[in-house]
Amino acid sequence: MDIHEFKGKVFAAGVAAGLQEMEIYFSQSKNFSTRIFQKEVDGYSVSMEQGVGFRARFGGKVGYSYVETLDQESIQLLVEGAKANAQIIDSDDEIEFFSGSAAYPNVAAYNAKLETLPAEEKIEFAKALESEAFASDARVSMVNWAATGYNETEVYIANTKGLEQSFKRNGAYGLVSAVVREGEQVKTSARMVFSNDWEAFDAKKMAGEAVEEATSLLGASSVPSGDYSVLLRHDVAHDLLSTFVSVFSAEAVQKGLSLLAGKLGEQVASSIVTLIDDPLLENGGASASFDGEGVATRTKTVIENGKLKTFLHNLKTAKKDGVESTGNASRASFKAPVGISPTNFFIQPGELSYEDMIKRMGDGLIIIDVQGLHSGANPVSGDFSLGAYGYLVEKGQIVRPVEQITVAGNFFTLLETVEEIGSDLKFGRPSPGGYVGSPTLLVRHLSVAGM
Amino acid sequence: MLARSIITDTMIAALSTGGDFAEIFMEDTRGTTLRMLNGSLEEGVSGRDYGVGIRIFQGYRSVYAYTNDASKENLLKVALEAAAALEGTPGLTDIVLNRLVVETFNPIRLEPSSVLHTDKVAVMRRAHGAATGYDQAITQVAITYLDTDQNVLIANSDGLLVEDRRVRTRLGINAVASKGNEKQSAFRGPGAHMGFELFDHIDVEAVARDAARSAVTMVNADYAPSGKYPVIIDNAFGGVIFHEACGHGLEATSVAKGASVFSGKLGQQVASPLVTAVDDGTIPNAWGSQNVDDEGTKTRRNVLIENGILKGYMIDKLNARRMAMEPTGSSRRQSYKYAPTSRMTNTFICAGDSTKEEIIGNTEYALYARHMGGGSVNPATGEFNFAVSEGYIVRNGKIEKPVRGGTLIGQGSQILQKIDMVASNLATGQGMCGSLSGLIPTDVGQPTIRVSEITVGGRKGDN
Repeated sequence: MDIHEFKGKVFAAGVAAGLQEMEIYFSQSKNFSTRIFQKEVDGYSVSMEQGVGFRARFGGKVGYSYVETLDQESIQLLVEGAKANAQIIDSDDEIEFFSGSAAYPNVAAYNAKLETLPAEEKIEFAKALESEAFASDARVSMVNWAATGYNETEVYIANTKGLEQSFKRNGAYGLVSAVVREGEQVKTSARMVFSNDWEAFDAKKMAGEAVEEATSLLGASSVPSGDYSVLLRHDVAHDLLSTFVSVFSAEAVQKGLSLLAGKLGEQVASSIVTLIDDPLLENGGASASFDGEGVATRTKTVIENGKLKTFLHNLKTAKKDGVESTGNASRASFKAPVGISPTNFFIQPGELSYEDMIKRMGDGLIIIDVQGLHSGANPVSGDFSLGAYGYLVEKGQIVRPVEQITVAGNFFTLLETVEEIGSDLKFGRPSPGGYVGSPTLLVRHLSVAGM
Repeated sequence: MLARSIITDTMIAALSTGGDFAEIFMEDTRGTTLRMLNGSLEEGVSGRDYGVGIRIFQGYRSVYAYTNDASKENLLKVALEAAAALEGTPGLTDIVLNRLVVETFNPIRLEPSSVLHTDKVAVMRRAHGAATGYDQAITQVAITYLDTDQNVLIANSDGLLVEDRRVRTRLGINAVASKGNEKQSAFRGPGAHMGFELFDHIDVEAVARDAARSAVTMVNADYAPSGKYPVIIDNAFGGVIFHEACGHGLEATSVAKGASVFSGKLGQQVASPLVTAVDDGTIPNAWGSQNVDDEGTKTRRNVLIENGILKGYMIDKLNARRMAMEPTGSSRRQSYKYAPTSRMTNTFICAGDSTKEEIIGNTEYALYARHMGGGSVNPATGEFNFAVSEGYIVRNGKIEKPVRGGTLIGQGSQILQKIDMVASNLATGQGMCGSLSGLIPTDVGQPTIRVSEITVGGRKGDN
């Protein structure tokens, strides 16, 4: 049955079961992906998926449930499941079902041209990624990823308080990873693009960059352990920022899981750091007109010239703090309860180009990749200790590649000690946890373990 | 779950453009997740995952499609859509399905759906109480309870038809200890391929106290010294190092295309002679066990490395073609949303002859990694990294003091050669492994081992 009919039946069954307020969060998506290996289509996937998240108030508490098929059995599962889950809740958090904002912004996130792009063209692009990689250097021994994909998602939220909103987005990605070999040495490097503008897809450029980077790493060795000045290249910087992004969530603050608690209005970062959450960014990877509770989104400055201006709120945390929701309620998927996450979240770029940043550093290390973010970083303490590689820089010049090192430090200290910010703002991959971006950052005194 | 005629008609449609093999994977899964923070039950979610995945091979090519709509009309449509990616003449026009009856070695005694929510919450309260009561430094305790009941039907154009049920239950305990502005957390997550009877097999309070003990120890610890020196890795979850550093490189996914450092090395010495390692999906009720894999092949015990010699890989049907080898019952996927590929089940280094006491007693200086956090690896280069979540310095044969913040980096194949002591105390720990075919439950395991040298990243320059 269709979602509107299904919604009517679920709400009716809910009323009969004594549920007081109800909300459905429906998402429906179309996906396509393909992967090329040795000029052949090695993987090809198409899918249509949907799911309904349901939450309901019973006895004052809110329980959740979800289903992926809209049949009679699912109606019962949603209603009974949410009711049973509501009955065990003993949290006193006040959860509001939102009746709707007065107005919603107009946000561009869907490109109709991309939807009609034929599969053949996407396959050709992935083939080009592979052939361009091989063409750019004889040391390329294999291209272990040459892939493209497309996703289109429509979200619909409706509740018994009158809220009813929907939003549609689409986007494509390209991914190339090249393996280069010289003697016994093997190095890899990858490039990715995410956009809903097919014009942004340049196979030759991506493949060329991946291969150039991989070959530049041949002959890498470690460095003596010690304190180093470090350039965190834009991609490493946004990966770090996205690992620690929960510290800006009011939920983490209220639960004592963020060391930024109690620091609103205080200097928490170097005065050159300005951090923005902008859900209205044109075609941003997390652009949307309403959040996971149906609240209209808006742009916020989270850190302004080093001062902490706001946390990210949903309705529940906002009520607790006596402020307005910042429109950052998130549903990681229809299966997930309401949480908090940033939207398009980035450090404002500075003036210096990447090359000028290297000169500014003088002596130190450029880190171009870190490993182990999901295990070697602790968002509660801010501590991180990560495997890394990159280049050694002397007197403003790259002198050789570096591998087998770890960099260790603390995210909060890092924010406070950022000495220079580059102009090369880049974003990572869009995810339910937000679309996080950063320019290259120069920091002094990171602890490096090597030889 | 699906009528035979729908299954065969869908597969025949899938093979209409030259495919030589078609497969259907259908699942109907029920699950519950409950979250408790500081003793207050904050979230309860229950759900139903439901969908069908259709896979087609043509030589080395593979096409995958999935949908939530299992009606005959839609399945035929999706099958034709997927088939459109291939070119050729229709293959089979008739498929006879033979049901494979699987005897379960993972019996379920207390089905999660038969257990009251309040009983599940009661277990969580026990864990919360034990962790909180351990020490005043424990400032926060988060408990997660989860159960899933996955019912699958797998059929393919070779005539296989098999159904399987996987019931899994897990308790997650995260304890945070504070001291001034500092916080350290520790996680323990016992789980099994069983129902609510899991809690007759584990001592909930002891596990919770262990999480609390670890967090308190670490909040009082100094930073680990950085440098290259011996590391003793404890048993159970310590096996994550083999899982990441070597296990992923033994998956056909990377071996078949020559992308693994272990490609082409069967029969060669790839590890210290002290190392024998196994992936065994048949351990009754273990977290990573299944009666059949997600291609319907019976799981088995696969010896990967025997006395240091590379003996085998973990192989799925598609890569089996590329490698001209047999599938090993190792093909897994998170759900119908993923095409399956070769993955680990329960993977461990087998017991050796030493004792843990001998290893520590015979060590002049080392980092003793009593508990490991997670890690990751680049299969092409074999480079790995791991977080040591609970570490100690061993000096002159004795445990000297706790240290925190250590990270181990290196190359899997080199570490395997440098294992110079293996204890007899084999044990396993539960993890969730993320890779191409999604997030799947896997057991890791090992006895206590010593590695003669690993690069340790820490915050202090000297040791």
